[in-house]
Amino acid sequence: MKHLNEEELIEQYYKQGKTRAKRHLEACAECAEDFAAFKSDLDAIRSAELPARDAAYGERVWRSIAPFLPVYEARRRSWLRGGAWRGLSYASACAVLVASAFIAGRVWEHQQLRTTAGNKPAVVAQPAAPPQQRLVVVVLSDHLERSERLLVELKHADAGSEEMVTPLRDEARSLLAANRVCRQNAEKDDDPALAVALARLNHLLVELANQQGGLNAAALTRLQKEMNSGSLLFEVRVLRSRIPDQKPAANNRPIGGTI
Amino acid sequence: MIRMGKNDHAAVRAILAGDKEAYGALVARHSHILLRVAFRITGNEADAEDVVQEAFLRGYQKLESFEARSSFGTWIYRIAVRGALDRISRGPAVDFSRVAGATDPEQDEVQVADTAASPERLLLSGEIGAMQEFALQSLTATERTAFVLRHMEDCATEEIAAALGIAPNAAKQAVFRAVKKLRIRLAALRVKR
Repeated sequence: MKHLNEEELIEQYYKQGKTRAKRHLEACAECAEDFAAFKSDLDAIRSAELPARDAAYGERVWRSIAPFLPVYEARRRSWLRGGAWRGLSYASACAVLVASAFIAGRVWEHQQLRTTAGNKPAVVAQPAAPPQQRLVVVVLSDHLERSERLLVELKHADAGSEEMVTPLRDEARSLLAANRVCRQNAEKDDDPALAVALARLNHLLVELANQQGGLNAAALTRLQKEMNSGSLLFEVRVLRSRIPDQKPAANNRPIGGTI
Repeated sequence: MIRMGKNDHAAVRAILAGDKEAYGALVARHSHILLRVAFRITGNEADAEDVVQEAFLRGYQKLESFEARSSFGTWIYRIAVRGALDRISRGPAVDFSRVAGATDPEQDEVQVADTAASPERLLLSGEIGAMQEFALQSLTATERTAFVLRHMEDCATEEIAAALGIAPNAAKQAVFRAVKKLRIRLAALRVKR
């Protein structure tokens, strides 16, 4: 008789096992004993006590995120319902279609003429996204990620531990230059939210990088307080979430919508 | 797992039509569930709160891509699971040398069959909880999340796979690996029969 393996026992425990395995379990004392041991172990694993929250918790979450959310622009569909406007829009669409067909025909004809004349057909370059803009997005994304990591480490740093504090100072120094560039870009692109956040981050980085005589307990506490009072970490996370993902996430799409 | 009210769809439509405040109702309705799953995955209250905030923030930003044929609750739940998974993936490693386990002969004496609610027993149950938490943290981020969703959130394999963005078979294997590792790590707690 072939006994149930560990995976079949796990499936039985979570009630996803096959009927054949279930029947075997009922008939085989050895497997039943193994299953009982499994059940006993798994039954003992419980979730830690969940943090208690009152009914107003959801309201508090809402208040904390609401200032960061822009208002969606209402979808203007009503004008389409008007007959005149609808007619006009159809006419415009037809005109665009005809114009596109005409231009495409002209281009094709032109290319045909050049080919028959012995010229190689012109290679039409695909317009690419401006490299400068892509670079800025990548640099900013990387900078915010590193900054977030630094802030998390600062949040949990212990002043007594030299090996924890020294890398923080070094990282702050190395982030300063990138922060300056990102800030200038944000000001140039007229992005006040980003510029203000990076200015605050700059202030913290300068303080962290230039502590005289090292980072003592008092200075560390002050920096942590400064960081927490302005919710700088949260702000950096919000800014990070604004940046579109660099990696294609086609395989990671959950069913029902895109995250 | 998550039920969907018609109210959620109505709220989503209202938000996309410019009524930002309607999102507040969705946040209030789903916050507790998100906090619960985020806490179970991260094992940390502060991190769980951050995950909840980020999930709602991200959900709002991507609301236009939300497809009305699915449930908002399930959708935002998956965003939170991903956020929590992401967080534990980049979290600091735990020092498992602190975990008393099979290598500690004193811990081999631990018995959990005693039902008397003595102070010693309460202390012991606290220790058991801590050991379980350490054992959970010894799993990889995917294994831990898959196990939490299966064992504590009672999700089916397909739901786990969808939440983690992996194939159902990979989700099933992650649960298997997690259970095997946990049984080994928690062997010291087993009641001697």
